[in-house]
Amino acid sequence: MKKLLPLLLLGIVLTGCQKEPDWGKLSNDLLVYTHHDTSCDFSQYNTYYLPDSVLMLDDSEKEPRYISVEDPRARNIVESIESEMNSRGYVEVHDNSRADIGIITSYIKRTNTYVGYDYPYWWYDFYYYWPFDYWDPYYNGWYPYYPYPVTYSYTTGTLVVEMIALKEAKKESQQLPFIWTACMAGVESSNQVNISKAISGIYQAFEQSPYINHKAQ
Amino acid sequence: MKSIRILAIALLACIVLPGTLSAQLYKSTYFNVDWQFNGIVGNDFANTPSGWGMNFEGGRYVTSKIAVGLYASFHTNNKYVEPQVLELSPSSHLYTDQVQSVFQIPFGALLKYRFVEDSMFEPYVTAKMGAMYSRMSSSSQVVEFYDEEWGFNVQPEVGVSIFPSSSNRTGIHIGIYYNYSTNQSQCLLYNMNGLNNIGFNLGVTF
Repeated sequence: MKKLLPLLLLGIVLTGCQKEPDWGKLSNDLLVYTHHDTSCDFSQYNTYYLPDSVLMLDDSEKEPRYISVEDPRARNIVESIESEMNSRGYVEVHDNSRADIGIITSYIKRTNTYVGYDYPYWWYDFYYYWPFDYWDPYYNGWYPYYPYPVTYSYTTGTLVVEMIALKEAKKESQQLPFIWTACMAGVESSNQVNISKAISGIYQAFEQSPYINHKAQ
Repeated sequence: MKSIRILAIALLACIVLPGTLSAQLYKSTYFNVDWQFNGIVGNDFANTPSGWGMNFEGGRYVTSKIAVGLYASFHTNNKYVEPQVLELSPSSHLYTDQVQSVFQIPFGALLKYRFVEDSMFEPYVTAKMGAMYSRMSSSSQVVEFYDEEWGFNVQPEVGVSIFPSSSNRTGIHIGIYYNYSTNQSQCLLYNMNGLNNIGFNLGVTF
């Protein structure tokens, strides 16, 4: 056994000699991850509703904090999503009961969840999330439904945009189907939302999701 | 810091080991401690050549020209890839830049043949055979995908040991090698079915 010890030590030393990547170079750009329901025909929807606020998620806060469009950061984010949806032929409505699609935007300000997992209910670690009765009091107590696998590690400084098919609400199982999720990591600089990166991330998320298009009908 | 550490290990080995070991070693024993330059060939993944590695080997001459011994080396090849959209599955797409990396540690036994003995210039050929640990990874700023594998390793090498005189056996070593291992790895959308490397070693022999 003693003869094996030097070999074991040599192995440990050699394993520790790996040259690490240039992290500084990597942090200069965004990471944008999108998922969607491949069985969903996005062209069948006509209207969408987009709340005029962004939910700030912080796993140390017990009360929800919404940043309204009066804050220029939230306004820029909301307007970017509106611009993309309108350019793809969808019509924004200001009465959520008339919308085919609901779009919610959240910003993960702080979280201790770093581990990737194939579990879509990523927001369970927070004390709060967008309540489903936001869309209709009738949906109180309903559940989200992700018809696609989600494998991702949500970290601090991630903007998350999700699309809910309100038109497809399943009364029998009391489920609201989430048909699109976009995660944009790396949009924070110096503990602040970097608006130009957030907007670039939103444009990239739509760019790599050409199926979101009412005009395709 | 890694480069400095590797350089420090190499310098320490070059300065200290010959002096401390010479008194207790047989004349028929040799050691090589080298800086290593290596490139992955036949695969697009992490195929940027680099000098982030070292080679260690030692052996004993069982005849005047044939030696048997052991070898171990380590090497990292990194490659930065500009941002692109990767289709991970029909339902998911990832836009990111990444650093592709392959870290290798081959080790095992060697058979060496030198064409001349006790000369200032000793050209040689070596056949190395053993196992190899490899770690294939793709890193972005928030997530790393990786795969660790083991495989069988073979490494033919030609080179020359250069000594100041036929009696002073501390000199310079230069070797060119081809390295193949059977490691099969999969990382993100990339596959490696065996690893091929070409490189050279430059260091001291004593």
